[in-house]
Amino acid sequence: MGGKSHAAGVIALISVVGGLLAWEAASRLLVSNKLFLAAPTQIVMAVIGLARSGALAHHAAVSAGEFAAGFAISTVIGIPLGLVMASSKTAKSALQPWVYGLYATPTVALAPLFILWLGIGIWSKVLVVLSLVVFPIALNTEAGLRTTSRELVETVRSFGASASQVFFKVSLPSAAPLIFTGLRLGIGRGLIGVVVAELFGARAGLGQLISESSETFNMPNLFAGVCLLALSGIALTVGFTSLERRLFPWREEQG
Amino acid sequence: MAHPKLEVSWLRKSFPGLDVIGGISAAVQKGEFISIVGPSGCGKTTFLRIVAGLEQASGGEVRLDGRVVREPGADRGFVFQSDNLLPWRTIYDNARIGQEIAGRSGAAERQRTMDMLKLVGLEGFEHYYPRQLSGGMRQRVNLARALAVDPEVLLMDEPFSALDAQTREIMQTELLRIWERGRKTVLFVTHQIDEAVLLSDRVWVFARRPGRLQEVIDIPIPRPRDLSAKRTPDFVALVDRIWRLIEHDVRDSVLHENT
Ligand SMILES: Nc1ncnc2c1ncn2[C@@H]1O[C@H](COP(=O)(O)OP(=O)(O)OP(=O)(O)O)[C@@H](O)[C@H]1O
Ligand SMILES: [Mg+2]
Repeated sequence: MGGKSHAAGVIALISVVGGLLAWEAASRLLVSNKLFLAAPTQIVMAVIGLARSGALAHHAAVSAGEFAAGFAISTVIGIPLGLVMASSKTAKSALQPWVYGLYATPTVALAPLFILWLGIGIWSKVLVVLSLVVFPIALNTEAGLRTTSRELVETVRSFGASASQVFFKVSLPSAAPLIFTGLRLGIGRGLIGVVVAELFGARAGLGQLISESSETFNMPNLFAGVCLLALSGIALTVGFTSLERRLFPWREEQG
Repeated sequence: MAHPKLEVSWLRKSFPGLDVIGGISAAVQKGEFISIVGPSGCGKTTFLRIVAGLEQASGGEVRLDGRVVREPGADRGFVFQSDNLLPWRTIYDNARIGQEIAGRSGAAERQRTMDMLKLVGLEGFEHYYPRQLSGGMRQRVNLARALAVDPEVLLMDEPFSALDAQTREIMQTELLRIWERGRKTVLFVTHQIDEAVLLSDRVWVFARRPGRLQEVIDIPIPRPRDLSAKRTPDFVALVDRIWRLIEHDVRDSVLHENT
């Protein structure tokens, strides 16, 4: 198994390096117009330049703050919302159409409206993130609690467990993996929300950097913003996956 | 005669449109091992669940040491048919959950959990997760979990039915050995008549439609017993006698299920 994963890593590395080389070659040899594409080396230089000037840290910090605030509020609202839906049939019937409907809606399209309401500062972005992230968290929480095994609940009940003991010792731990799946889904959606909302209008942020660069035809800076977003998305997802593995060791596949 | 440990009087249970238990009265003395046999659907599980407090009786009552019981509690330990271990808890934490629910967390309690795991032969597996254990091992944890709360009465609903034949026989001897050590009061539901005879002081034979206690059979086979008891003429005669009591009902229930 170790050998196989080693081989897989080598293939992935070759694929990435090869892709970058092809990109570099294409942008140097095929696309003569600098307005259409930037080579990886130029992007690296742009990142360094932005980092030196302090602009990078500023933009990244603004976007990260918006993402973190939106994500935190989504968690604080989404998990209790899922709880309410799981614990009462009436609440579920009343809330489900809205939650499902809004989950399926690309609410990022509402960003201009939110900017109208809340201005171009960070709060319109936080609201966009919230509108994208809260629903998958609520739905996964509800699903996790709904699928709690009745036999396991009976088992702790047979020892005289109270309703709150049943909740904390069975329902919640059994729903936790799905709740985390909801959070992980929220990461990707939240990042999209931040960037797209900033494209519509912002004072700072990686999305704002991208839109400003595109207006000034600064391709290296544009790609620098995109690459940073890609990297943070990957880093967050990988970090989250390893957190899940640590929190739920009992879920590991056998063998 | 001493006060019975467990006393059931005029116990009835109906589900909408179905009388499942039609008036059962019986008493169990402290330290007695009782097996309940009977055709499928005669209400054995329902009976045990009412005693456990997981189900409410429609009439009659259950008394434990003279007190009426209606709710589940740590004075009764239920061993379920499927092991029902919490997959996110280690074996030790699974075995301890009854004490945890009762709010007991002293050193003595922790020691008792360890002792029970040792008793069922799982010393050294405390930090494993359930998925890492075989079906037989998980069923031992199920038993240890019920024993860890030191219940007055142990309620077991076909605990070995999911195990293969060899593991099952091993578990029967293990249970005999464990029971000899503590002499708990046990109600043990099974479909296997030889299992009932091997383990029990008395066998309750249930009849169906509605479920009722048809006959109580004493098992005078001397203890301590082991698997070799199964080959004695007395044993075979008892199995035969019980089988003849329920044969008609069993045929009836099988035919019913097929139509
Ligand atoms: N919650 C319930 N609602 C309605 N009917 C039920 C319920 N629980 C059990 N029954 C019915 O009660 C009858 C007795 O069920 P029970 O499980 O007690 O039988 P059993 O003797 O344990 O059967 P088996 O040997 O197959 O386990 C069955 O006809 C069953 O369908
Ligand atoms: Mg049953």
